[in-house]
Amino acid sequence: MKEFEPKIIGFCCNWCTYAGADLAGVSRLQMPPDFRMIRVMCSGTIDPLFVMEAFQKGADGIFIGGCHIGDCHYQTGNHRTKKRVAILKKILSYLGIDPRRVRLEWVSAAEGQKFAEVVTDFVAEIKRLGPNPLKRKFEA
Amino acid sequence: MIEYKNVLTVCPYCGCGCNFYLQVLDGELVGILPCKSHLVSQGKLCIKGWNAADFVISKDRLTKPLMKKNGKFVEISWDEALKVVTEKLKQYSPDAVAVLSSAKCTNEENYLMMKFARAVLKTNSVDHCARLCHASTVVGLGKTFGSGAMTNSIGELEDADCIFVIGSNTTEQHPLIARYIMRARAKGAKLIVADPRLIPLTQFADYHLRQRPGTDVALLNGLMNVILKEGWEDKKFINERTEGFAELKEVVKKYTPEYVEKITGIPKELIMEAARIYAQAKSASLVYSMGITQHTTGVDNVVSCSNLALLTGNVGRPSTGVNPLRGQSNVQGACDVGALPNVYSGYQSVADENTHAKFEKAWDTELPSQPGLTVVEMMNEAAKGNLKAIYIMGENPMLSDPDIHQVKKALENLEFLVVQDIFLTETAQLADLVLPGTSYAERDGTFTATDRRVQRIRKAIEPRGESKPDWQIICALARKMGSKGFEYSSPAEIMDEIASVTPIYGGIGYERIEDIGLQWPCPSKEHPGTPYLHQGKFSRGKGKFFGIEFKEAAELPDADYPFILTTGRTIFHYHTGTMTRRTEALNREVPTGYVEINFKDAEKLNIFEGEIVSVKSRRGKIEVKVQVTRKVPEGVIFIPFHFAESPANALTNSAFDPVAKIPEYKVCAVQVEKKPSLP
Amino acid sequence: MIEKLKKLAKEYLVSGKVEVIFGLREKDNHLAPHIFTKVEELDSLVVSPQYPLFYTCRPSKKNIIRLIEEKYPDIKIGVIVKGCEERALIELAKRNQIEMKNIEILGVACSREEAVECKCPRPYPNHPLLGEKVEGVFEDKNIEGLLNKGWSERLAFWQSQLSKCIKCYGCRNACPLCFCQDCAMEQELWSKIGEIPPEIPMFHFIRFYHLADRCIECGECEKACPMDIPLLTISKQVRKDVKELFNYESGLDVKQESPLLTTLDEMPMKEGANE
Repeated sequence: MKEFEPKIIGFCCNWCTYAGADLAGVSRLQMPPDFRMIRVMCSGTIDPLFVMEAFQKGADGIFIGGCHIGDCHYQTGNHRTKKRVAILKKILSYLGIDPRRVRLEWVSAAEGQKFAEVVTDFVAEIKRLGPNPLKRKFEA
Repeated sequence: MIEYKNVLTVCPYCGCGCNFYLQVLDGELVGILPCKSHLVSQGKLCIKGWNAADFVISKDRLTKPLMKKNGKFVEISWDEALKVVTEKLKQYSPDAVAVLSSAKCTNEENYLMMKFARAVLKTNSVDHCARLCHASTVVGLGKTFGSGAMTNSIGELEDADCIFVIGSNTTEQHPLIARYIMRARAKGAKLIVADPRLIPLTQFADYHLRQRPGTDVALLNGLMNVILKEGWEDKKFINERTEGFAELKEVVKKYTPEYVEKITGIPKELIMEAARIYAQAKSASLVYSMGITQHTTGVDNVVSCSNLALLTGNVGRPSTGVNPLRGQSNVQGACDVGALPNVYSGYQSVADENTHAKFEKAWDTELPSQPGLTVVEMMNEAAKGNLKAIYIMGENPMLSDPDIHQVKKALENLEFLVVQDIFLTETAQLADLVLPGTSYAERDGTFTATDRRVQRIRKAIEPRGESKPDWQIICALARKMGSKGFEYSSPAEIMDEIASVTPIYGGIGYERIEDIGLQWPCPSKEHPGTPYLHQGKFSRGKGKFFGIEFKEAAELPDADYPFILTTGRTIFHYHTGTMTRRTEALNREVPTGYVEINFKDAEKLNIFEGEIVSVKSRRGKIEVKVQVTRKVPEGVIFIPFHFAESPANALTNSAFDPVAKIPEYKVCAVQVEKKPSLP
Repeated sequence: MIEKLKKLAKEYLVSGKVEVIFGLREKDNHLAPHIFTKVEELDSLVVSPQYPLFYTCRPSKKNIIRLIEEKYPDIKIGVIVKGCEERALIELAKRNQIEMKNIEILGVACSREEAVECKCPRPYPNHPLLGEKVEGVFEDKNIEGLLNKGWSERLAFWQSQLSKCIKCYGCRNACPLCFCQDCAMEQELWSKIGEIPPEIPMFHFIRFYHLADRCIECGECEKACPMDIPLLTISKQVRKDVKELFNYESGLDVKQESPLLTTLDEMPMKEGANE
């Protein structure tokens, strides 16, 4: 059987995490290739509906990366992200979707190493969790 | 001072008879509230019900009488309009005029309309769209049980042990009845669904029998064959309460599961299992709808359904029965009060001398004794030029009738066409004169729901512009034509007259139905109404079996027209879309017509989701958007008939059942063509 | 109690403290909201835990109270409310849907039996004029059953429940706090239009999430569902979470802002919640 190659969507904030990812790339750090990145202006623009939509369309995991609390380019955008993601994970868990499929991380522009680490770790975790159960309905 | 009221009324869409409140603030309709104390709806509604206020306040509502002058409509006064109609209608002999009544109007209005046709115009040519949906039920169940209506009540479904749904997409067409089927299932009832399409109910069904369209008689005979072979029939019931069993037994003999599998395409094991489940259930309800009735073999289908119920003794007890689901808010009532060419109110035959004399006496006038024309016959006669004038109230045959090219020719061939409606429908556009009626929210009256429950609809707001309730228009016309017996002060008074001449409505009066309504038969003021029919004794005495042989549909696919077209509705729209397409919430869900086609067929024809294809039959051609799906089996396509821009009924076959005269909407042969791409 | 209430309402009307009374009326054995302007009418006044007073009127998508306020900005309205209805009013005022300045609240507490029937956690308004504050209902068998199960069983449960949905939008229409002019549930972007059942679980997730900080647990969504989907089960649990995470409860105080609209400094979140 072919090894499960997860599809992971990463929403990364333009100012910190995206720059951090850039640094990781420039520094030639090794990372798994299952990660598809979408650059957003602020992690605060991530509506939980985006996350559900990604699951609905077949994503196995969703990563949300923002600036550390206090560093938000828009002052408090990531405060809202943090609160929303907390609620989102609760609802996912009640619906039967493992909340570990959603991960929120603060990665600054200087933390290329951290970016590589959290991505590697997240991909490994999703591989452990297996394919998104909502995907089943697309088959058959 | 502020005036806010909630007026309890009946939903104007399907026959479930759900109640809701119209919220009125200072005479303006502002919203809809569900009614939690209503028996059927219990505070729940479907999307159409929740949005039933939209079309009432639509800008398109007709507010003044219109007359066509030089091909254009101009507004005229009521006086002038009534004068023109009177003068015109007086010109023609009774054989040259006909009347179409409406299942959207109240019992009172339908009664008046049929009285108008018979007592004023002296013709029995009065019909309405029940001809197109449940004419076969009225005939079929009349023959076997003696009463052509739903035998049991909606709520009883919940306690059935087995529910057999055949030819009814209940979830989409009667959502609040589907609620009771789902509740029964949650309580452990077995659900058998027979339908060529995958419908929302099939995913919850224990058995899905996917028959080839038009082979219902074979399927039902097959079930009975198994039941008889295994000895599961209710022998006591058959002996005591039925007749004609020998005939049935003889006919059913050859419909072995193997033979039926060949005809219907349903695996024989499934047929045997379904037969066992249905026959062994303590109480089994059979639910059917247009998938059974709209065939050239409509009556045969209905009779076969009642054969099955009789064979297993599933009639005359709670949570059993043969339950036709009526499609319109008051189609049951329109039939009950006699808007049919062969019967007066309460299904009293026109041809019967005593009845004839009774009505002549009651109405104090001479009445015609020949049965009149049905809808389809009217159109044929009009096309031939024998019928000169038609008065249509609240119907839109230009979308609802089969083979609408022919209908258009017929209506254009008329010398005079009056249409009374709330919108300028496709039919009204062909009229010489248009009279503005009122919607359900602007008048008082009664609707009879599919389970025979007569319920009150109440006036919540004033009529728009100069529009008038239909009963007032009919009365005004009748008086203008010099007829007596049309002096009513209110719909309640009309209902009293209905009760006085209609035994099954004998005990019904407004004072008794203000809260929950009454189920007919209700012969006297003391009678509590009848939740289920045929208890202890059938309306006709004994239940009658008929041996029915399977016949193919009138038009089968061939090399030129290789697909079977079946038509129907979606949950988001209603009939010809006159009301639902003026409702934002519904139009947003399904803005235009589509054709469902199986993905394998789509692949063969190289067509894709969203593409516009042309669908052609021997009668017409339409262009319509493709929906590639698994819902329809290979070789079958489905088109909803709501949409004027892709009218399914331009394709359908007007061949009709020999007795019930119901056209075959559910089967005709068509061809699907990819449109040539632009150069 | 109902006699006391009628007396109280009468006093309010007669004294001119309010010009009209908004409450439930019984007619032909059916109950519906009504505006009482005359003392004589009050004979038909009733209270029932099963019948809410305020709905969002459609197609205008404005609450009936707002429609009245827009037409009669100066009229004093006495509103007979139960706990859930008061919470709805407060939450609507908080979100600028209505104004409280002309509203006089006549609070009525429900009995313990009524609370059990509604699974109501707070069966009384802030200051009931009639009835006693009794204990609410916190346990919910549905939730407990679900939380004891694994992910796949939970998902299977909801997939089978939600696949019954006929997209009537009744849950939204009956909700006093669903007043958005553009509702995400209607948008093709999120859930394919013209299909039943709608996309699972997206269609219902929209409400679960959007109501997270608004839901007042009146249960009208569940009561309006023609297919008996236990919608309140999740909303109840989410409301519990919001309380735990932010020490916030909707519908108690007009001045208290929602945690999802404020920063971590204004309303902090319990740590460790994102893990």
